[in-house]
Amino acid sequence: MTLYAFYFLSFLAVMGALMVVFSRNPVTSVIFLVMTFFTIACHYMLLNAQFLAAVHVIVYAGAIMVLFLYVIMLLNLNEAVEKQKTLLLKVAAIVTGGLFMIVLSAALRTAETSYIDTSVVGSARNLGKVLLNEYLLPFEAVSLLLLAAMTGAIMLARSRKRIKPAPNVVGMTHEREQTKTVVHEQ
Amino acid sequence: MIPIENYLVLSATLFSIGLMIVVIKRNAIAVLLGLELMLNAANINLVAFNLAHPERLDGQMFAVFVIIVAACEAAVGLAIILQAYRVFHTAVPDSISTLKES
Amino acid sequence: MSRADIIFLLPHLMLTLGAVLVMMAIAVRRNHFAVYVLTCLTLIVALYFLPKTASLPHNVGVLFVVDGLGVFNTMIIMLAALAVALMSYAYFDTREERTGEYYMLFILATFGACIMVISGHFVSFFLGLEILSVSLYGMIAYLRKRERSDEAGIKYLILAAFSSAFLLFGMALIYAATGDMTFEGLSGYFSAFDELPILVMTGVGLVVVGAGFKLSVVPFHMWTPDVYEGAPAPVAAFISTISKGATMVLLVRFFLAIDGFRFPVVLTIFTVISIASMVVGNILALRQQNVKRILAYSSIAHFGYLLVAFIAADELGVEAVNFYLVAYFATMLGAFGVVTVLSHPERDAELLDDYRGLLWSRPALATVFVVTLLSLAGIPLTAGFVAKFYLLASGISTNQWLLVILLVVNSIVGLFYYIRIVAVMFDSAEEREARPAGYVGNFATLLILVVLLVWFGVSPQGLIDVIRNLVGVG
Repeated sequence: MTLYAFYFLSFLAVMGALMVVFSRNPVTSVIFLVMTFFTIACHYMLLNAQFLAAVHVIVYAGAIMVLFLYVIMLLNLNEAVEKQKTLLLKVAAIVTGGLFMIVLSAALRTAETSYIDTSVVGSARNLGKVLLNEYLLPFEAVSLLLLAAMTGAIMLARSRKRIKPAPNVVGMTHEREQTKTVVHEQ
Repeated sequence: MIPIENYLVLSATLFSIGLMIVVIKRNAIAVLLGLELMLNAANINLVAFNLAHPERLDGQMFAVFVIIVAACEAAVGLAIILQAYRVFHTAVPDSISTLKES
Repeated sequence: MSRADIIFLLPHLMLTLGAVLVMMAIAVRRNHFAVYVLTCLTLIVALYFLPKTASLPHNVGVLFVVDGLGVFNTMIIMLAALAVALMSYAYFDTREERTGEYYMLFILATFGACIMVISGHFVSFFLGLEILSVSLYGMIAYLRKRERSDEAGIKYLILAAFSSAFLLFGMALIYAATGDMTFEGLSGYFSAFDELPILVMTGVGLVVVGAGFKLSVVPFHMWTPDVYEGAPAPVAAFISTISKGATMVLLVRFFLAIDGFRFPVVLTIFTVISIASMVVGNILALRQQNVKRILAYSSIAHFGYLLVAFIAADELGVEAVNFYLVAYFATMLGAFGVVTVLSHPERDAELLDDYRGLLWSRPALATVFVVTLLSLAGIPLTAGFVAKFYLLASGISTNQWLLVILLVVNSIVGLFYYIRIVAVMFDSAEEREARPAGYVGNFATLLILVVLLVWFGVSPQGLIDVIRNLVGVG
């Protein structure tokens, strides 16, 4: 029974991921990725990692993907503006295919076929105990990572008040930079 | 019961697809999407193989940290893309070329 | 967490305290000088609290190993950070930029690097690396007035995130096969094999790809010249020294733990990377007209050289890596220091033409630059020469003849482009506008760096003894 659930979820996850590749509209890509992430959360449930499944849905579907959608709409990128690179596509296909084959063969060569042991339960209680004992220091270090990310994001995204000439994207030289009038913020 | 190799294959597939997105897509936001997928593929491995090595909860713990890291990278990444968009009016890194070989 | 653990982590705690204090200082009042002094004080206090040698090594939980290698490299990272901080003040003071956040990100990035060099576990490895990278994203794209800074930021972002994904997947595969994440536990697992299972092999390969991006060795070097060119000069100095050095130390720790060079595949991979980095780095540098790009390619080549000692992986090899890192840090900081001093508020001094006739217009600065370039080229009486000699010794003692010969040949090729910069400085001076006034901190840093370069070049024994005492403990 769980095996069928596994195959069904895996199928959905891979299909969702493939649709991200092939859809040309960024918004659709994001929606399909959300679908993939939901199925991954279901996989976590199958693996008895309830806490992780909950965190995954909250953080990914709830926060990160909404942020992506927000930025895409802010930049008004919802039209399919991009052309796909055909030569690179082939190279990419070879690279990814090769990598996939290596790992796949590795998987098949693993001598004993072991089955997952569902006695481990990743409940919030069990994880919390580990987190606040041996992983206490990384837990603290993560706060600094968040601080760095927060500072960086706020600093970068804060609008710069500047008056600039019409942009000329390709071949901008530094002489042009000097001609810009910049109104300083502080 | 699910053989553990299945998870290896699933995560390898998702990782490869993520890699494909990063290489094929030209839009920086789509590239970030691919990166998120790659991190998640690794996470599946970590969680699944935690059950094969059930003495400690290392794998699941690492997965929690990876989710935090992914969130941080997405936040800063989108901020940089936003800033670059304001300057260059494009989110396609290939069409920005102020840096070049001299 | 015992009391002893806290004492051993005091330098790191001081850095975090510094970051928070800087944040509060910015909140109260934006004063560039105050924030800068606070940053320097933080680093000095952190250096003061470095654990004493006698008590090493000490394990903090399973995650951190405070041993001689870690403490020595924490020290040189903090000293390098101090040098970069001193340069940054002058650089950002002449520009109309927001100033506070830079120092905060700067301290956090240093903290990430310091975490990396003492980590003995995948989780601390990954977190340290990410704290370093996420802070660097902000620092690279810092300048508001330069588009190139944004472009460098976006490039670094994509490639750094890409490399972390590879690294993480590699770690996950190793965990899948072994069920262990500590370097200590992995060492027990690896010693049971004469040939690696392919799953583990793939994992190690992916970790090497991920770390290779950070070290910017060929073929993972594409981002380096662009990012060095676009990033503010002090940030480029930070990436080329602290970020790369910390990754290198971590690789040394990891591969010593698993004794990775017993396996022919690993040996072959690193030999190829080393050769490719030396050759490609030097050849691409020959054609450059941009000093920052030349330094970028030069750093690629230097990590190719460094891998020779890394592959040796014996006691002499580890000593050589550490000595080389010290010499390389001092040299690169000196070179980027000169670029920083000469930089205009509008743009960095990066074209070769900016250096034309420098010897006549600013002799002291030109002398500093000449010394650092000679050290990069590995001319006798500079630290670069002794360091390269050390590499050769460790290469010869492990019979890496191909690598040793290529190292010598490439050093000669390297001479050309370093000498070219020197030649440009000898050219007749042309009229140029007055440079912005100098800053005491900048010149003091450059002076100290030059003195160090010559001192380690003339009598390296003192430094060698320190390294041997700390790192040789094993």
